[in-house]
Amino acid sequence: MMRNIEKYRNAFINVLDLEEDDVCEDLELGVTSEWDSIGHMALISEIEDVFDVSLDSEWITEFNSYLSGMELLKRLGVDFINE
Amino acid sequence: MTFISIEFLLFFAIIVFTYYLIPHRLRWILLLAASYIFYAILSIQFIPLLLASTALTYFTGIIIEKQETKKQKKKVMLVGISVLLFFLGWFKYFNFVNDSLRAIAKYMNWNYTVPYQEIVLPLAISFYTFQAVGYLVDIYYGKQKAERHYGYFSIFFAFFPQLVAGPIERARKLLPQFKVEHSLNYENLNYGMKRIAWGFFKKTLIADRLAPIVSSVFDSPNPTGSQIVLATILFSVQLFADFSACSDIAIGCARMLGINLTENFKQPHFAVSISDFWSRWHITLSTWLRDYIFFPLCKGKKKRSEIYLAIVITFLVSGIWHGAAWTFVLWGLIHGFYRVFGDYTKHFREKVASFIQLDRSPVLHKWVKIAITFLLVCFSRVFFRSDSVTHAFENAQLFLTINSWRPSGIVKAFEIFPLLDLVIFVFFFIIVQLFQYIERKNASTWKWLAQRSIFARFAFYIFIIVSVLIFGVSGNGFVYGGF
Repeated sequence: MMRNIEKYRNAFINVLDLEEDDVCEDLELGVTSEWDSIGHMALISEIEDVFDVSLDSEWITEFNSYLSGMELLKRLGVDFINE
Repeated sequence: MTFISIEFLLFFAIIVFTYYLIPHRLRWILLLAASYIFYAILSIQFIPLLLASTALTYFTGIIIEKQETKKQKKKVMLVGISVLLFFLGWFKYFNFVNDSLRAIAKYMNWNYTVPYQEIVLPLAISFYTFQAVGYLVDIYYGKQKAERHYGYFSIFFAFFPQLVAGPIERARKLLPQFKVEHSLNYENLNYGMKRIAWGFFKKTLIADRLAPIVSSVFDSPNPTGSQIVLATILFSVQLFADFSACSDIAIGCARMLGINLTENFKQPHFAVSISDFWSRWHITLSTWLRDYIFFPLCKGKKKRSEIYLAIVITFLVSGIWHGAAWTFVLWGLIHGFYRVFGDYTKHFREKVASFIQLDRSPVLHKWVKIAITFLLVCFSRVFFRSDSVTHAFENAQLFLTINSWRPSGIVKAFEIFPLLDLVIFVFFFIIVQLFQYIERKNASTWKWLAQRSIFARFAFYIFIIVSVLIFGVSGNGFVYGGF
């Protein structure tokens, strides 16, 4: 079974067409041309599907980096450590 | 009594004086009375509608909260929003739909008998309806508790500094500020007065000076192409000065009462792309549309084409919100197209910039992007400003004709200005540009100014006031006040 961190990374790779090496903790919205405001909406939809969560408008705007996305998901009960 | 009047300044001075004189527990009564008096002076016949919309939103909010299931909450929310939108639709869009249906019926040779109705648009209905819809949606999603104090809620609905033309506020930002006791604060009074004065400056020395010049071209039966180009660019300057002045005055008035409103503009004509433009122009409407239209439309959408459709729909709503006319619909669609086309051609444009080595000079590249964005925005405003679709297309054709851009033609087009008006406009336009330049370099011109000598500061303040008194022109309402 795929671990949550892998699911999270795969969401970026699949939706934003990023190479595996590009998905790192430094990744931020707007820094790469792939993760732009439109790619962001597609990424949100993928993450909502994969983790079965619902992100409201505040969270969508708060989710502006790889790390902040993980923090948000942790708040919604997604465990990235003890799984 | 509009913002730009001695009456308003006197009215507001009395409110501020009384506000800080009376105990906190009575202030909501003062603010509410002031808001209703202000609205009544401008549009007394629509006070009942304002009161009814307030009551409807207040009780709907509470009923949503009391429902046990998400489904029930949604039902109540939708009923509340439908009634609010019915009010808006009836007053703002009835004749638009009616006229459109009549035109279709005529074209199809159908019998259509619904006559034209004399319906007056209630002041600020577009603004307070959107604010109310946002409030109900936030309660549904659990982001906002339904306000139980009817007085505070009514002020949120009709707070006079931002009632007429925004900023469109969220309840969670505005409501708590009414409940906190604000003591008399020199910084707030000082900053508030400066923002109000700056609003008067932009409105009376730029916007209202340009308004008749722009109108002389757009109302002319046969303007030249160069005149249309010049008038459209001037209209962009006018619209920004007009609307940002209105926001300045609203923000300044609220700040003098200790209340912070959301900034509505961040130098939009220096945007480097259309998406950047919309993050700088009418920010509170843009974020409202993003949160309550665009994000919900994007739910579950993973393909770029699906998100493109959501963008176009969102801009369509924006266009329709601005005005009940096909020119505004087209204006919204043009911006939707810009946004989608901009995204679709992003990589291609990057390659072109690289091929012609424009990206090697970042400053030049940035200014090219600013110029292109500004011209795209100007083109869309041909539709925004024209009084009918036919005129809009005629003007758009003139705007796009290469001959219209001949320097000699543009210079000749300046004849639409009487010489003295041109000199005055250019002088004050430069002042506003200097102000904006300092803002771009220092984040806040007011803070920058605070670091200058007392002589320099007061010279500038006196310059603002004297300029408004001597050269200021007034008489037009705010463009967005009509929405």
